[in-house]
Amino acid sequence: MQRFIKASPLRLLDMSVEKELGSGNLGVLIARAGVGKTACLVHIALDRIFRGDPLVHVSVEEGPEKVDSYYNVIFHDLVKTLDMKNEQELRLMMERNRMILAYMRRSFDVTRLRASLVNLASNLSYKPRTMILDGLDFENTEREVFEGLKELSREFGLETWLSALSHRHKMGLNERGIPYPCDEIDDLFEVIIHMDPTASGVYLRLLKDHGHPVSPDAKVQLDPNTFLVISA
Amino acid sequence: MKEDIQKLRNIGISAHIDSGKTTLTERILYYTKRIGVIHEVKGKDGVGAKMDSMELEKERGITISSAATHCLWKGYRINIIDTPGHVDFTIEVERALRVLDGAILILCAVGGVQSQSITVDRQMRRYGVPRIAFINKCDRFGANPSKVIHQLREKLGMEPVPLQLPIGIEGEFRGVVDLIKMKAIYFDGDHGEVVREESIPDELLEEALSRREELLDAATMFSDELAEAVLEDRETEQMIYEALRKGTLSRALTPVLLGSAYKNIGVQPVLDAVNKFLPSPTEVKNVALDLDQNELEVPLKADPGLPVVALAFKLEVTPYGQLTYMRIYQGSIGKGDELVITRTRKKIRVGRIVRMHADEMEDISRGYAGDIVALFGVECNSGDTFTDGRLHYTMSSMHVPEPVISLSVKAKDNKSQENLAKALGRFCREDPTFRSHVDPETGETIISGMGELHLDVYVERMKREYKAEVETGIPQVSYREAITQRADFNYTHKKQTGGAGQYGRVAGYMEPSKDGSYEFVDEIKGGVIPSEFISAVDKGFQACLEKGPMLGFPVLGLRVVINDGQHHPVDSSELAFRQAAVGAFKQAYMKAEPVVLEPIMRVSVECPSEFQGNVMSSINQRRGMILSSTEDGMFTTIEAEVPLAEMFGYATVLRSLTQGKAEFTMEFSKYAKAPESVVDELKKTQQQTQGGRR
Repeated sequence: MQRFIKASPLRLLDMSVEKELGSGNLGVLIARAGVGKTACLVHIALDRIFRGDPLVHVSVEEGPEKVDSYYNVIFHDLVKTLDMKNEQELRLMMERNRMILAYMRRSFDVTRLRASLVNLASNLSYKPRTMILDGLDFENTEREVFEGLKELSREFGLETWLSALSHRHKMGLNERGIPYPCDEIDDLFEVIIHMDPTASGVYLRLLKDHGHPVSPDAKVQLDPNTFLVISA
Repeated sequence: MKEDIQKLRNIGISAHIDSGKTTLTERILYYTKRIGVIHEVKGKDGVGAKMDSMELEKERGITISSAATHCLWKGYRINIIDTPGHVDFTIEVERALRVLDGAILILCAVGGVQSQSITVDRQMRRYGVPRIAFINKCDRFGANPSKVIHQLREKLGMEPVPLQLPIGIEGEFRGVVDLIKMKAIYFDGDHGEVVREESIPDELLEEALSRREELLDAATMFSDELAEAVLEDRETEQMIYEALRKGTLSRALTPVLLGSAYKNIGVQPVLDAVNKFLPSPTEVKNVALDLDQNELEVPLKADPGLPVVALAFKLEVTPYGQLTYMRIYQGSIGKGDELVITRTRKKIRVGRIVRMHADEMEDISRGYAGDIVALFGVECNSGDTFTDGRLHYTMSSMHVPEPVISLSVKAKDNKSQENLAKALGRFCREDPTFRSHVDPETGETIISGMGELHLDVYVERMKREYKAEVETGIPQVSYREAITQRADFNYTHKKQTGGAGQYGRVAGYMEPSKDGSYEFVDEIKGGVIPSEFISAVDKGFQACLEKGPMLGFPVLGLRVVINDGQHHPVDSSELAFRQAAVGAFKQAYMKAEPVVLEPIMRVSVECPSEFQGNVMSSINQRRGMILSSTEDGMFTTIEAEVPLAEMFGYATVLRSLTQGKAEFTMEFSKYAKAPESVVDELKKTQQQTQGGRR
């Protein structure tokens, strides 16, 4: 497990000042379609889960079966690649520390999400520390929704990671170097990471670090097959 | 005689329990002159409503099995299936919806959208059935049609379009305002049989005009012609009817009518609405699967000239044999015709064809596409497709909900045992959601169904119709045992007391297998156990799996490796090595730290989102682990894993937690270690049983 934590994509944050996203904060992975945002988020999720932190994975417009299959495939690959011996124990840890909330056919809104989190806490005593929110359509989501998510994260003490889909034809950056679709809402995010596919692998580049200056070298390279860190 | 198929309506009447379905049907039959006298549902006059023909139905005042009838109204023939409202009889409602073209959804003006209204609406959506809504009991204290219309929108996601306003409400309810004709309608005569039109009362005129505007707004979405006419203030009734019909057929809107069937108010307009807004058989898309083309979906046409395709949707065993209710989708079926059952390829010759009128039959010579008939003396299963042999089609299988509750039944005497078997055979054939089997481990007969009332009624029917007196109990959970550690064995079986002896030594180890199945590995070298005896060793171990030494439950996931042993040139035999294996098993088993496993079920609960918290809590209280929650519109589906032992009675609990608005399915997922408290309880029970036997 230690080997996984050492190779997890979250190692990128070792290059940041704060070293973590932090409770009550929003982080976002920006990438074009097919680069691996969901896979990367699942890795982040497993990083938290294997540290024993309960997590909630929110999926917008994808059912829980699909989310579960992502976890199963990535888990299986990790076990094989890192030669993990205690597979059953880790699997049990994954099942116990993960709750999938799916919202289909435009059912997602912050109010419903809040109600779900309250339900989990009061009826199951399940209090996540991390929230993954995958599949939110940044292009068609109002700023108020992100403000609401930030408020929710503060209220529940969550570190919230989102995925944002960018487009090849919308490559412009704002004055802070943040690309579309986060260029007009970057003030709401404490950590912004860009996923950049190249011939040699996928690079995670740190674009925003809690308002601290970011070094252009703040990047890690991920193995495109396992999404584990090859080099920093 | 062949009729105009455009003027045929196949409809069902569905709703929550006690919202007045049977009363409404009784009125419909009276006004269409199908019956001469109205009888009330709970048999106040000792007779009972026409549609509640089964004795138990009449006695309990509930409708249990569906019955079919037909009537004529203003040149249209209407086939009506009256269906039960209680959740436990969902299969009857499902069947009816599968074969019908339209439906009337009845709601109570007091209770509004209730539990079964939600389930029934879901069923109607599943089968794409256009419907009209009738808000009944507007004469009752607390009646609030506006609230119900609001609930149709909020709770069922419908687009309701009221076609009427009530004139008076509760005890003052005396008629309706027709917003299309812009007339007040009253119902005179002893039983409301005389429909009288008058001007709208002054005090209701403003509201009527306002509601009519809303109605026209909704209707114009479906007709450009109407939209133009409304702008020019020249809309006609016919234009409005046609537009509303389009909206209803596309299921984009639901016309809503009001009344009180018991007080004979508002029933005739419902019949008019059936004619005007619900589809004929030609307006409904029906498909079959072509088995000669890899189950390719093929459209069916309600044309009597085409090859026959028909579906048996209800079986009823009568004293004269089996009655098979059929919907003819294509072609025609006449007396003497030859039909083929697709499932069995068996040919049958059509004897009697009848039209049903609750429990009375009316002989006909031929039934045509679009019609619902019944055949006599045809041996088949519910859901069977019939053709005339020219096509190899099957209708898609009806959605059959999985049973959710089971209990054991035991006949009190031998005669009852015989009768029980006959009863179970019949009920299982008639109703695919009622199942029975003999538990191979306990020998108990287990029956399962959709709810406690469902099984309760069948147990009653066993007693009444088959004279099978039974006791009911709770079925036992199928526990298992499994080892958790590796343990060595080295056992010698020896019986050498003179004469032919027995000798065999087996050594090796047992450990948990990776995939949960039994595995036997032979690592014997040098022939210390001759190869002809190896399978006997294997069999010996396998025989021990049936009853684990811990608590007598079957053993799962054992891996046995034998790597040493000894034999005797004279006294070794298959029997000796089999016994050696048994001894080795017993020697090592308890050292391998066995545990008791309990079956874990994958449970999926679908409920309105407002009950999500209740449901999660109920699962948590049952040692369940919630895996996910999916919100989809107004409903949430919760997936969880829950021990089977905690699930008995859950259907009833869930129903009361969610006002009957939730459904759940359950299937086996895996075996998992049972907690100590459960094991202790099992040990106690076993000790008591053994003590009792002594």
